[in-house]
Amino acid sequence: MFSAVLSAPRRTVAEYDSVLVWIITALLAIGLVMVYSASIATAEAGKYTGHQATYYLMRHGIFIMIGIAAGVIAFQVPTQMWQKYAPYLFLIGVVLLVLVLIPGIGRAVNGSRRWISLFVVNLQPSELMKLFAVLYAADYAVRKGAVKDHLLEPFLPMFGVMALVGALLLLEPDMGAFVVICAIAMGTLWLGGFNLKIFGGLVVLLPLAFAALIFSSEYRMQRVVGFMDPWSDPYGKGYQLSHALIAFGRGEWLGVGLGGSVEKLFYLPEAHTDFLLAVIAEELGLFGVCTVILLFGWLIVRAFAIGRQAAMADRLFAALVAQGIAVWLGVQAMINIGVNMGVLPTKGLTLPFLSFGGSGVVVNLMAVAVLLRIDYENRRVARGLPI
Amino acid sequence: MNYATTPIQTTGQIALPAWRSRLLFVLLLAGLATLLVRAVYLQGINNDFLQQKGDARYGRIVDIHAHRGKITDRNGEPLAVSTPVESVWASPADVEVTTKQIIQLASIVGLTPEEVKSRLRDTSREFVYLKRQLPPEQAARVVKLGIPGVSLQREYRRYYPGGDVTSHLIGFTDVDDNGQEGIELALQAQLGGKAGSQQVIKDRRGYIVEDVASLRAPKAGGDVVLSIDSKIQSLAYREIKQAVERNRAKAGSIVVLDAKTGEVLALANWPSFNPNNRAKPSVGVLRNRSVTDLFEPGSTMKPFTVAAALEAGKVKPGTVINTAGGEFTVNGRTIHDTHPERSLTVGQVIQRSSNVGTARIALGLSPEVFWRSLNESGFGLATGCEFPGEATGKLRDYKTWRPIEQATMSYGNGISVNLLQLARAYTVFANSGELKTITLLKQETPTVGVKVFSDVTAQAVRDMMETVVRPGGTAPLAQITGYRVAGKTGTAHKLENGKYVDRYVASFVGMAPASDPRLIVAVMVNEPGGRDYYGGLVAAPVFSSVMGSSLRILNVPNDAPLDNVIMAPGEVIGEEV
Repeated sequence: MFSAVLSAPRRTVAEYDSVLVWIITALLAIGLVMVYSASIATAEAGKYTGHQATYYLMRHGIFIMIGIAAGVIAFQVPTQMWQKYAPYLFLIGVVLLVLVLIPGIGRAVNGSRRWISLFVVNLQPSELMKLFAVLYAADYAVRKGAVKDHLLEPFLPMFGVMALVGALLLLEPDMGAFVVICAIAMGTLWLGGFNLKIFGGLVVLLPLAFAALIFSSEYRMQRVVGFMDPWSDPYGKGYQLSHALIAFGRGEWLGVGLGGSVEKLFYLPEAHTDFLLAVIAEELGLFGVCTVILLFGWLIVRAFAIGRQAAMADRLFAALVAQGIAVWLGVQAMINIGVNMGVLPTKGLTLPFLSFGGSGVVVNLMAVAVLLRIDYENRRVARGLPI
Repeated sequence: MNYATTPIQTTGQIALPAWRSRLLFVLLLAGLATLLVRAVYLQGINNDFLQQKGDARYGRIVDIHAHRGKITDRNGEPLAVSTPVESVWASPADVEVTTKQIIQLASIVGLTPEEVKSRLRDTSREFVYLKRQLPPEQAARVVKLGIPGVSLQREYRRYYPGGDVTSHLIGFTDVDDNGQEGIELALQAQLGGKAGSQQVIKDRRGYIVEDVASLRAPKAGGDVVLSIDSKIQSLAYREIKQAVERNRAKAGSIVVLDAKTGEVLALANWPSFNPNNRAKPSVGVLRNRSVTDLFEPGSTMKPFTVAAALEAGKVKPGTVINTAGGEFTVNGRTIHDTHPERSLTVGQVIQRSSNVGTARIALGLSPEVFWRSLNESGFGLATGCEFPGEATGKLRDYKTWRPIEQATMSYGNGISVNLLQLARAYTVFANSGELKTITLLKQETPTVGVKVFSDVTAQAVRDMMETVVRPGGTAPLAQITGYRVAGKTGTAHKLENGKYVDRYVASFVGMAPASDPRLIVAVMVNEPGGRDYYGGLVAAPVFSSVMGSSLRILNVPNDAPLDNVIMAPGEVIGEEV
């Protein structure tokens, strides 16, 4: 994915963050193997897949290729360009989110209208929106930096834009993307140094609002209670979660072995997408789960390091984007893992880099490319070279 | 990279406070660390609970088929064996077929394409049989079609090498391998064995994906060795079938007993059926008539009347009985003989089957003595062979007898038997007065009988029965080259709605070699539709053929010269019916 870098003349100091590349390579490799393992039975049994065991493997592989290609292209784009076009990209994202809601353009699966059909592949605008939200929020924070000490002036426009995006996402509905984009926006504003009092207020108000939202509706209450005690209705609301938990329990320390999962044999729904970690837990045990969590931890460490370096070089937009990407990938991974382990209610979020899901993998790889670009530019700046 | 110590950046128009970055960074890592702790709890600590929940979901205990024991004849010839077959089943939701495949599938499993389609229509079901118990070759053709969602299940099916020859005796099993009729039903407990059980993990569609533990090994059913001799059985079957067809009769039965041991060597009926065909015929054809059907024995009862009188000392073989010109009136009812004689000796009464003579002899006995004698010979009792659905013959309590009833009973009216019971009763004459226990299972040691008559009585009656097959008797056609035969004919009116009608049951029961009987053969032909209906004409030839061949099969030494068969000129003497 980094042919441009690799082809550059060899130097004593590396021109890109090879550790980050290896982390992502490891995550992709684990994901590819586990998507195949988790999907083989359902793919073989399904009419939709034409009974091809490698149906999901092939598609996942192709999406990774597309993602790498998209990443190579994204890497060529200077950070400045990203910043310049961030509002427009964000606008495109909003348009796509509107389009996806229009019947005939948006394709509905399981009651959610999340995909736009582009002949051979389906585009999921909400995935794209996560990247655009990172860029837009960083740009916004930099632009509004001058008024950051005011209370509401810098905060309200952002709040309005995010409320619009949030509303569009909830119309699909895509609760998971909504939560991630909220986290990106909040995280970027926080890092951008926005008023402490407002954040202080949010820290108090948001949980209260959330609690009110839950207690106001019997349905939401049920969902929350359902995830807290899946064993009270294990064949109904707690079905998916209880099977995910059983997968963790069966895996023990080292797992039942690759390919040995029973849960993936039609018990656990979404085994190759949202609940891929449960299959990893069953087949590779705590060892596999720890590996995945530590890789994500390391990814966050690298992204924050790149962000801090950019900040030291006074490249504020780059710094915010790098850390925004860390927040995005970190929060999404955490929510997905938390859902798999029964500590968070079911959201419908994939595990970045690992889960099957075309748009997700491609956009995640583009984000990594942007991250690598920032690092690349950091290194050039440090050496006094032009970007 | 050690940004923890870097000062706050204040260049440009905004600053990025490093502590905010650090706090967010720590929070993210803390979140991941919390999840790590949770993983350790789920996988390392609480895993017993979760695994137990998992076992409840997909751990299953399945039965392991216990192989059903085989049934053989006394020489080890198989009569019922279990062979592996395949049942074709489908999971309708997963089935994907072209119209052409449906037509092919339907032709293999023997259904119409519409029937196949209708079975596959209910996609909410996860398991539908398309065809049970298909031969492995046909099942292989189903597999070759490669239709997703259509699978095979191994089962066992009973195969009966004897086919229609042994069908009534052996019976058959249902599709789940449980005995339904005959020996298969009677000895279900022994043949069926005990299914084993195994703990397995099943996937959500019901396929076993993992064997966890064997809980109980299956206990295979035991083999059963019958007393039947296949050669004699097929011989008896062939002969009774031919006799029924030749005489245009409704049905016929034959029983061959080992006179010494009480073992049933053959037991056959016509009409019969092939148990290997799944389509079962009507109940009438399924019935093992020689055990389940009762008939009035008629004159085949007479030897027992005579034996009772001999045993009681009322008469001797040479005692002359006044047969009063062939007419005898009791309680206002007249008993007739077709060949009226002024008088007959006791022996001649048997030879010519005189009703008047038998009735007079019987009336010389007290009802109690007569009843006891019949009862001890097994009349009115079950045979003890424990064949399912056996009909126990009727012998009314002597206290209710009127003299006319005692008289008619003496020649086999007003009493009912099944053929096996009648054959068994004749063991008293073959074994010096000992009644043998009947068995369908091969015996290593001869069964001990119950003494009913003295040696002298038994021998005397046997001698009288030998005269039956001689010229002047009712059954010269029962003679056998090289062997002496003792037997008795029977021709009885059938009783319908309490009235005797002009339809008959022709029978013959006899034993050979008469000097030391080895076999007893009882033949019964129901409603001969031809010109002949006398036992001596319809049943006796069957007896002769089966008995003769059986004795030769068993290498029984001759007790008569090979030119012993004497046929008197003219017609065989008919008996009173």
